[in-house]
Amino acid sequence: MTDPLPLLEPGVPVAQARRKRARWLKLLLADRRASISLVVLVVLVGAAVFAPYVSPAQPDAMAFDMLTPPSWAHPFGTDDLGRDLLSRVIFGARISIFVGIVTVVSSMLIGVLMGLLAGYYGGWLDTVIMRYIDLQWAFPNFIIAVYLVAVFGAGLSNVIIAVSLAFLDDFARIARGMVLTVRERDYVEAARALGASDLRLMLRHILPNSLAPLIVQATVSVSYAILAEAGLSFLGLGVKASTPTWGLILSDGRSFISRAWWLGIFPGVAIMVTVLAINFFGDFLRDVFDVREAAVEEGA
Amino acid sequence: MTSYLLKRVLGAIVVMWAVATLVFFMLRAVPGDPLQAMLFDIGDPHAADVLRHKYGLDRPVYVQYALWMWNVAHGDLGASIYGSRVPVTQIIAEAFPRTMALALFAFVIAMAIAVPAGIVSAVRKNTPLDHGFTFLAFLGLSMPDFWLGIVLIIVFAVKLHWLPAIGFAPLSQGFGPWVEHLILPATAIGTAFSAILARMIRSSMLEVMKADFITVARSKGLVETRVVLKHAFRNALIPVITVVGIAFALLMAGAVVVENVFAIKGLGRVLIQGILNRDYPVVQGAILVVSAIFVFMNLVVDVLYTFIDPRIRLR
Amino acid sequence: MGKDPNDTDAAKRRTLEREIEEAKEFDPEDPLFGLTVEELSGPRLSRRAVLRLMAAAGALSALRFAPGLGDVAYAQGTAGGHLKAGWAGTGEIQTLDPAQINQVLEFQIASNVLSGLTHINPKLVAEGDLAETWTVTPDGLHYTFKLRQGVTFHNGDPFTADDVLYTFNRSKNPDLSIQSSVLAGVDNVVKVDDHTVRFDLKAPQASFLVKVLERSSGRAMAIVNKRAIEEMGASAYGLMPVGTGPFKVTAHQLGQGVELEKFADYYDPSRPKLDKVTITPIVEPEPLAAAIEAGDIQIIGGNPPAAELIDRFVANPDLVVSQIPGPGFQSLWLNPWKDPMRVPDFDKPFSELVKEKGFMVRLAIAKAFDRADLIKRALFGRGVPAFGSINPAMGYFYDDAIDGTSEQRFDVAAAQKLLADAGFPGGKGFPTMKLTITPAGRREGQIIADILKRNLGITVELDAKDFPVLIEEFDANNYDMLRVGSGGDYDPDDGLVDWMLTTSKFNGPKRDKATEAFGYFSDKEVDSLTAQERVEPDLAKRKALVQQANKITSDKVASAFLYHPLDILVYRKEIVYPAESRIPGLVDLDRVSFA
Repeated sequence: MTDPLPLLEPGVPVAQARRKRARWLKLLLADRRASISLVVLVVLVGAAVFAPYVSPAQPDAMAFDMLTPPSWAHPFGTDDLGRDLLSRVIFGARISIFVGIVTVVSSMLIGVLMGLLAGYYGGWLDTVIMRYIDLQWAFPNFIIAVYLVAVFGAGLSNVIIAVSLAFLDDFARIARGMVLTVRERDYVEAARALGASDLRLMLRHILPNSLAPLIVQATVSVSYAILAEAGLSFLGLGVKASTPTWGLILSDGRSFISRAWWLGIFPGVAIMVTVLAINFFGDFLRDVFDVREAAVEEGA
Repeated sequence: MTSYLLKRVLGAIVVMWAVATLVFFMLRAVPGDPLQAMLFDIGDPHAADVLRHKYGLDRPVYVQYALWMWNVAHGDLGASIYGSRVPVTQIIAEAFPRTMALALFAFVIAMAIAVPAGIVSAVRKNTPLDHGFTFLAFLGLSMPDFWLGIVLIIVFAVKLHWLPAIGFAPLSQGFGPWVEHLILPATAIGTAFSAILARMIRSSMLEVMKADFITVARSKGLVETRVVLKHAFRNALIPVITVVGIAFALLMAGAVVVENVFAIKGLGRVLIQGILNRDYPVVQGAILVVSAIFVFMNLVVDVLYTFIDPRIRLR
Repeated sequence: MGKDPNDTDAAKRRTLEREIEEAKEFDPEDPLFGLTVEELSGPRLSRRAVLRLMAAAGALSALRFAPGLGDVAYAQGTAGGHLKAGWAGTGEIQTLDPAQINQVLEFQIASNVLSGLTHINPKLVAEGDLAETWTVTPDGLHYTFKLRQGVTFHNGDPFTADDVLYTFNRSKNPDLSIQSSVLAGVDNVVKVDDHTVRFDLKAPQASFLVKVLERSSGRAMAIVNKRAIEEMGASAYGLMPVGTGPFKVTAHQLGQGVELEKFADYYDPSRPKLDKVTITPIVEPEPLAAAIEAGDIQIIGGNPPAAELIDRFVANPDLVVSQIPGPGFQSLWLNPWKDPMRVPDFDKPFSELVKEKGFMVRLAIAKAFDRADLIKRALFGRGVPAFGSINPAMGYFYDDAIDGTSEQRFDVAAAQKLLADAGFPGGKGFPTMKLTITPAGRREGQIIADILKRNLGITVELDAKDFPVLIEEFDANNYDMLRVGSGGDYDPDDGLVDWMLTTSKFNGPKRDKATEAFGYFSDKEVDSLTAQERVEPDLAKRKALVQQANKITSDKVASAFLYHPLDILVYRKEIVYPAESRIPGLVDLDRVSFA
């Protein structure tokens, strides 16, 4: 089997990474797209964290003016149950972004651990882990998530578990591939020759050098996770009804879209902007980590 | 080569068996009794027991498993628990071409968008054109597919009356209706995939264009278009081929949701509905077939890969 | 013709209404009492006889709301054409085999393909379908049917008495049919000659002609074809049944749709009008609406279309929306075995019951619902407030005053006081309750949660479960609050016997019987009143008994009753859907045509 994303560059040695840190900021400021994305992400996360303070109303408070178009009182309009859409979208950011980040962090932790072990030790451990990953590889992530939610039942924690498990194989695969490439490098050989322990080798030398593609994969995965949650909500397998998520707001509003465009547009745009910002920022990270490409540009 | 193939095929069969077994037992752990639900309105408590016995659902799970395995080995996937007990093979045989048509069409749409966009982006790197395409690609990637599907229906079916809103027309009804019914759902699925593909082609083109042989080609004084298309694009396709393997995974995942929006009974919908109804034989059969497709696709891609790029060593 | 057609209609309407009233004066258990044998025998039953049978079957009230009361002239359509229908809220038509059908949306289609011995006509009069004439013995135990001659099946086989026997034996066998209980009252069916059969009943059954023999509601006796079943096998036959109906099935791909074509040799050469019908199942509401608005489909059958779409359809000048009362009720079930709603014994007078804390909580919850508000928000106004399982489509038996007399009637202040007296002033200290709903019921669940929060300060958490799980938990008494209801209730017994008795089939059949004496409700008085009304010969007395039992279930909060739904049919205006075919629950297409 082959890597899903072969375009990723292998990691760079530690020394170079140090130098890069200063360059990062310079690059970020120079890249208007990336800096805007970062600002957008900070604003979104801020809104999510401080939702109770910044949203004008309770997200599940029902008023009797149903399906009113955007106005001063309700900047995003109200939904089919008379709830303030702006407040729901702000609160929705909480769960949606939370789901995105938590699933990716947990699947990255477990996946990377699996990949490191498999790649570093090889042998039967590698075989067992890789067989499992092959097994999972035989299915689209989304279908795995659908199935797991069906087994565990719908709900926030179950959605997180299902999506995390579904994303596991991507991280494990990348981590293992990176370990295999980095392991044979001179400085790792040198460290080993100097008597560094396995754990130290993995954590200090191999992992940092595999970090770049993992981070890029993680940013992309966050956006997939947000979309996966929306899809699960659409199929009736999502987070519980009283908790607004962007996916749920969209899927609940779907039979009203042609009558009340705001129900489709605002949560849809919220998802789109978030995913867009994450992807742009991920793109920037990819460029930053990609030394060869950067060198060509600097030289040009 | 033959031994490699044999090894891979055997491996694939083992994977499929493991998946099927896992699914069989996990499915029985899912709460919900299909017969009780089906006969809820009839209200005859005895009726469910009669059927449960008749369908062998009252036997120990391991006996059911052995029987199922035995039947699968003989090409019998069982029958749906609901209604007229339609054989699972028939359900799948009907649904399969629909999903395939949808996936194929989505793939074609995605390629048609992605190839030019990817090449232009790479060649005109960091120009407004590249930024424009990048933005569009990410936009496509950021839209939930069901949402895009509904918006497409409202715009092209309800407002403009250009295309049918829902459904699927088999090829037997003619090429025209077949295409008409496929355009909207395939676009809903293909958009996200085209974005991924375009990004991938761009990256891999950039990679290749830095390579020595391109520099050589350039230094030979070849026209830039020729360099791009003949040398760079061809070599850039190598990693892209890999994506075709996961393409199907992406398209299937899209199909699960989009088939629901467009009322197309494809494999995705068979699967979802089977899960929601606890229709064990249908879910088992559908998952078996879906996993067979993935395993097979991966196998083909890997083999293909070795042909395109002989540098890759077979293990 | 010199006569104002409206006068005629009005006169006909008056006559029919008088006849309906008269029909209701008779004994529903033996509605044949006092009728002559001539009146009971076919080619068609006399209107008097039929109306009484219908009254017994509880179906009369539907007539009152039916738009086609009297012979109202309707626009004549032209013959021919291809009708495209969408079947709402379903992913597939699982079966059309009458022995396996368990959903209305299935027999809606089967009714266009198969025939019964009888079928109800626009005035809900049971007419001979495959039975041409019939006679009944005075004791009401033996029905002899003369079968229509020269009728053929879609596959060319002639229809004879053997087919009636074959169908009977197939439907009676629980291994082959889930409808066997429908035929429990039939002792035997005898072939007299090739075109004569006799049904011997174990006891007189008032609703026999309608409930057992009618082709759609009496799925058990919709005539099937032996050769086709044997040649095709049961599952293929289930997809494409061969019958003697106006349309034949020419294609059926599970989940993709059913294709019907005009059966040229149908026994009535004037029907069907349409050449072809395609039926596509459509799960999602928005695509369904889009499809009919765009003209991709021209009529909506199947499950009732999503409530939020109806206003949109009504506002659309291209569409016709026909709304009549639907026979059913929807409830919020409160588990009497869970604190703090615990009521382990309902067998005491209301005045005593209301002093118990558990009951106070139940009553407070039931009283906190402003049904009109709930219906407005959840159903966009398309429903009738419910206070019991007896629905307004049952007309005569329905208690018009119950919204003013039921202890469940909306009163926030009283509800809050009850809750405070039970120890939860303003909902303080009240545990968070789980409300079990289906994924499709989430929207309504949110409104219920909002009402309980707003009016009582009770927090309800929604727990969405797929239907098979929801039913399992309902049957096993494994819930705090749960939303489920009933449809197709034409007779008071459908509401009382099926739901409200200690022994009712839905009353916790899978509960832990050692610790829980009943599922959701048990009351000796209701049990005894119901036992009486089932056999009460006097209609007025039966009505009183039914209403009394219904009132007790309401007062003692067997459940918090919420609403009765409407029966809604939507089609495009180019379709001529004659009032003649507008029967609640059915979508008969044999008279439908294009304008």
